[in-house]
Amino acid sequence: MNKEEALQIVIDAVKEYIDDDSTTINKETILLGNNAVVDSIGLVNLIVDIEGALSEKDLEITLTSEDAMSRRKSPFRSVETLSDYIVELAN
Amino acid sequence: MEKIMIITGSRKGIGRFLAEYYLEKGITVIGCSRSESDLQHKNYEHHCLDVADEKAVQKLVRNTAKKFGKIDYLINNAGIASMNHSFLTPLSIVEKMFKTNVFGTFLFTRECGKVMSKKKFGRIVNMTTFAVPFKLEGEAVYAASKAAITVMAEALAREYAGFGITVNTVAPPAVQTDLIAHVKKDKMDKLLQRQAIHRFGEAKDVANTIDFFLRDESTMVTGQTVYLGGV
Repeated sequence: MNKEEALQIVIDAVKEYIDDDSTTINKETILLGNNAVVDSIGLVNLIVDIEGALSEKDLEITLTSEDAMSRRKSPFRSVETLSDYIVELAN
Repeated sequence: MEKIMIITGSRKGIGRFLAEYYLEKGITVIGCSRSESDLQHKNYEHHCLDVADEKAVQKLVRNTAKKFGKIDYLINNAGIASMNHSFLTPLSIVEKMFKTNVFGTFLFTRECGKVMSKKKFGRIVNMTTFAVPFKLEGEAVYAASKAAITVMAEALAREYAGFGITVNTVAPPAVQTDLIAHVKKDKMDKLLQRQAIHRFGEAKDVANTIDFFLRDESTMVTGQTVYLGGV
């Protein structure tokens, strides 16, 4: 999976989850902490949605690995960091 | 509407009974155990796996969700017991019991919970044991693993409430299955005397309790543990 594909999956999932046309979702969109477009439960939902979307493409990936949780910089910070992380896991 | 149920440890004992019972009720049952099952039914699928194998559990749950579009019910029935004095219990047995009883329950609950959250509906039922409240000597590790399941269910009931998923636990009464096949009669008699109802239960008593947990109307029933036979 390449970066563009991963970005598209994450952006689509965020758009579908927040369901608000007035909010622009792009690779800079923040997912964790201040200014995040989702709250903590929203992020949980989003991760489940993204795992589901990856599974649809026959990519059986668990995003919440010990590695992800223990990184100094969380891969869930933004659409772009999450997309990078998906590419890393998929390849 | 078609209902989809996963039952772990469905090859024999209470799990087998539950599989047949819910198939009879028209529910599609996906069962699993470490070895093959001879249960044949048009609405039954059996998968061989170790419930503590994360990848295998993910694969089974995701494939089930893909095939049926949802999972309504999960019965975390798979469990192993080893009854012995702690001085005579090797760590490998402790690890094995926690892997199957606790890790397996956690993995299936987590994966099915993700699927159920999409439909805002789910019923998860775990199995515990009267060895927890009775704190039976010789069953320290088994009881500890089941106590972990009970407390985990109570916490998960809160985590999952917003998703329309309930998590409950049932403790079968003393039921004559393989789990207690090697327990001496006088020990079993003593145990039965400690229950409010001094007799063996049957798998149908467990099914009756699970029926209550599964009902669509049981939306407020979560984080509960029912000890059959009375403790």
